[in-house]
Amino acid sequence: MDFLIDAEMGRRLAAAREWGQAEVRPVGREADRLGRPIPTNHPYFEKVLARGDARTRWRPGSRSAGSAPPRSGRSRSTVMALLLAEELAYWDRGVGVANPGPGLPEGNVIGAGTEEQKERFLGPFLEPDRPRWACFAMTEPGAGSDAAAIRTRARRDGDGWVLDGAKCFIGNASRADWLLVQATVDPNRGRAGQRAFFVEQGTPGLGGFKIEKKSGLKAYESTSFSLTECRVPAENLLGGERPRSDRPEGFKTAMRTFNAGRPVIAANSVGIGRAVLDEALAFARGHGLLGRDRVRDRLEHMKRRLRAARLMCLKAGWLAQQDNIVEASLSKAMAAQVGQEAATFGMELIGTVGARGDHLIEKLYRDVKAMDIVEGTGQIQRMIVARKLVGLPRG
Amino acid sequence: MAFDFERSEELSLLVRTARELAEQQLAPAQRDSERARGVADDLRRGFDSVGLSRLELPESLGGAGLGALARVLVNEELGAGDPGAALALDPAGVALYAVEELAGEGALGELIAPLLDEPGARALLALAPDGLDLGTERIEARLPWVAAARCDLLVLLDRRRAVVVREGLELEPVPGSGLRAAGASSLSVADAPVLARYEDEAGASRALARARLHTASLLLGVLRKASEYARAYAQERVAFGKPIAHHQALAFMLTDMHAAVELARLLVHEAAWWIDQRRDDAAACAACASAFVEVVEASRFIGPAGVQVLGGHGFMQDHPVEKHNREARALSLLLGGVDAAREDAGRVLAEEAAPVALSTAQGEGEWTS
Repeated sequence: MDFLIDAEMGRRLAAAREWGQAEVRPVGREADRLGRPIPTNHPYFEKVLARGDARTRWRPGSRSAGSAPPRSGRSRSTVMALLLAEELAYWDRGVGVANPGPGLPEGNVIGAGTEEQKERFLGPFLEPDRPRWACFAMTEPGAGSDAAAIRTRARRDGDGWVLDGAKCFIGNASRADWLLVQATVDPNRGRAGQRAFFVEQGTPGLGGFKIEKKSGLKAYESTSFSLTECRVPAENLLGGERPRSDRPEGFKTAMRTFNAGRPVIAANSVGIGRAVLDEALAFARGHGLLGRDRVRDRLEHMKRRLRAARLMCLKAGWLAQQDNIVEASLSKAMAAQVGQEAATFGMELIGTVGARGDHLIEKLYRDVKAMDIVEGTGQIQRMIVARKLVGLPRG
Repeated sequence: MAFDFERSEELSLLVRTARELAEQQLAPAQRDSERARGVADDLRRGFDSVGLSRLELPESLGGAGLGALARVLVNEELGAGDPGAALALDPAGVALYAVEELAGEGALGELIAPLLDEPGARALLALAPDGLDLGTERIEARLPWVAAARCDLLVLLDRRRAVVVREGLELEPVPGSGLRAAGASSLSVADAPVLARYEDEAGASRALARARLHTASLLLGVLRKASEYARAYAQERVAFGKPIAHHQALAFMLTDMHAAVELARLLVHEAAWWIDQRRDDAAACAACASAFVEVVEASRFIGPAGVQVLGGHGFMQDHPVEKHNREARALSLLLGGVDAAREDAGRVLAEEAAPVALSTAQGEGEWTS
């Protein structure tokens, strides 16, 4: 066992910290103050592009099978990615989601897409000429946590597919080059009847974009939209008509996105909580409160719980190549809870200063709530864990 | 590699050995041990035969010379079996830490090692009660409860020193709430001559930190067992037509119990790693104090919840969960209890340099969590 962050990891974290302090925190606070997502023509996005952060990790001709690094290497890179996710969320979690790039659906396209689809949809992200976005559209007004209940339909029509339905709370949807839309092709087959479709921006029938007003995380857009007689060609079906037998399909493909994302959300929660802790410590120090037992006790509680949540998150990441469903779900459920506790205490510590609405802790208090909701609520995570631990039946 | 949760083969083997001993010997005898206020000779022979009483004793003194990580892994298993028996079976107990940290190997060989060859011997460590001056030549004190029926050597510890007394110790049996297998007594130290006094503030901090970690890891084992027992019961017990674990209220409670054990275990392991690193005493001591607090806070939930899952059956001594609940409270009262540990961890936090509290650079370009 080893709990050391080595020098190379430390250097990468230091670079992320420098970037976060100089660029991420200011643009996140600006978006919060103005109450709207970062505009697509904001100079910040050009800087992200210049850093190379908006690129895809997919490489033409690469196949996941046969070229995988040894397990220890994968575990290390997952741990590193989680530490970076934590660090960036420390400076602003909303800005991280707003960043251009192939985003949430990238993993699914790499894992389940055909070579042609990777070339066509990820190719523009290899060396993007401008900030580009993609998005993954699962949630619907009537289907949040119960993702199996989505009602968006895709029906075969001649040489293509026609989609009808509505999606909501989709990150970066109105600015995305393409949207990977989850739809049911056969409602009688439940989860097994779901597939995902690439819908390119500008496709007739895709419209009604409405950017929601949120409580926090204002730097990125959460958008509702509709699909009305929206026709896409057959080659836009993720994985093709007959997906390879060794690839997960349909609902499982979609869920894989969320399984991989849970420790990341956990890391984000720890990052936000850490930001609260540092702000609270600074406030307590500045106001001579560190001599009070009650204040110290609660700061200690906050730090301890964040530390434990971080370790659980990193362990889930370390186990990423194994069966880590319990660890991934627990890390997400626990870290989101711990992050909220930290922010609540932070608000109580700064008192009416927080009620003014212009203190960073107040923003973090609003931001962190979403961590217990996105990609499966804390209750959903507990259900997933309970299925494994005690055989809790579905439904 | 950095951030590796894998155990070495040596540690895995050690854990298997401790688990077998706990499951096959300690746990089946736990009610007998509790009633007898001590452990049977065959348990003692079993414990000694696998060398667990010499786990952390330096190799030069005939021990295994293993570190804190080995200790917490073994203790979790022993705690899951019977924490009272674990205390009774280890003659050196946490007194070893005070002697080693403040006085060194020579004193260990002189004061502690001989006890390991004496069946039933017990060295005890206690924090000096408020108002007791450890600078005097003779000690007068009264400890309301010790988890022991015998005391061959007492080490009293304060913030900067330790004193050792061997004479003038009188034990009077008390009923005891938990840990009865280790014995339960009040201990009078009556005009006891100081056998040795060691002054070392850093050593005193490390000794207390290691003692807290030892206790926290035993408690962790109790909590794991309570959580596992309740979970198994809830999958068999049927109410309203289905296993009670399949009622969501219980399913969530069992999930949260499991999560609380996992979170506490991670902090215990990390604290043990800090101790073994010997690179930053303040961080190591704070990590041990925090781990102790975390395990105790988890026990406030898991102890009663374990009983709750079993309902009326949980309240009866036919099942071990009521014992887990008592053991948890008793363990959490040791070494000044949770408030003293929280105070120590909080003091270190308040002294940390602002602003970044969790990602602190640690010398030569290396970082730790």
